[in-house]
Amino acid sequence: MRFMVIVKANAESEAGVLPSSEMIAAMGRYNDELIAAGVMLAGEGLRPSSEGARIKYENGKVTVTDGPFAETKELIAGYWLLDVKSKEEALEWIRRIPFTDGEEVELRKVFEASDFPVDAISEEHLKKEAAWREATQKPIRH
Amino acid sequence: MRFMIIRKADAETEGADLPTEELFKQMGDYIEEMVKAGVMLAGDGLKPSREGARVKFHNGQPSVIDGPFAETKELVAGFNIIDVASKEEAIAWVKKWPQLDGHGEVEIEIRPLYEAEDFGDVFTPEERAREEKMRAEMAAGTGNAVPEGQRPSN
Repeated sequence: MRFMVIVKANAESEAGVLPSSEMIAAMGRYNDELIAAGVMLAGEGLRPSSEGARIKYENGKVTVTDGPFAETKELIAGYWLLDVKSKEEALEWIRRIPFTDGEEVELRKVFEASDFPVDAISEEHLKKEAAWREATQKPIRH
Repeated sequence: MRFMIIRKADAETEGADLPTEELFKQMGDYIEEMVKAGVMLAGDGLKPSREGARVKFHNGQPSVIDGPFAETKELVAGFNIIDVASKEEAIAWVKKWPQLDGHGEVEIEIRPLYEAEDFGDVFTPEERAREEKMRAEMAAGTGNAVPEGQRPSN
């Protein structure tokens, strides 16, 4: 089953403070372990919310608000997408992230096509979805 | 430049309701349009936070709190990764979001992703090589990105 591991933002990530070379090396080693175990599907870092925007739909109207957004602890700073056997295995990997103090991550289960009632998705749509995932989302391997 | 499109959670995504057949169709058409335009790199929906957990690190020690989490509007319900020329182009794609989603009441956040060149000297040649190797493996079709040569053209 696939899980998204969401790294929450903090004052440093929102200020655009870049990680030290030591942190980059530690993260690189950690990612290598995920890759070696065949569980890593993706991983990215997000630039500060000051470079982003929010788009709201209300009563058929679209409003665009440019960042930054004040509620730092609600924001996302990065993520991994993992393919593991259980929530426990996902948590085991999370415990080994080389974070030191104050960082917070959120673990969320990803929907699979099989989670939806058979008649909710057409056969044609399922085939398209399966083909697209086959082309784009497999474990990264050395 | 790559952007993450974040679909914020609401009472329905945190509840027990699944999308209707009509919404599936609209969402499928929207994603297909982005795939055909060669901008769509990834996308997924997240199950309610009650099936998830949070992990906090203090002095390097992790502590785990199981979901659900009360602050619905802070949560994420789904995401796409798109590769476009500008923030304006990213916003233009988001403005075409399926109208049936959230019964027309939806909040989306877009955020640019970090690229290797953003990190400067702290990103050492060794780490760059490691990253490039990983990206090359992804581009070879074993990762999460749609390989450049395999992207459908218009």
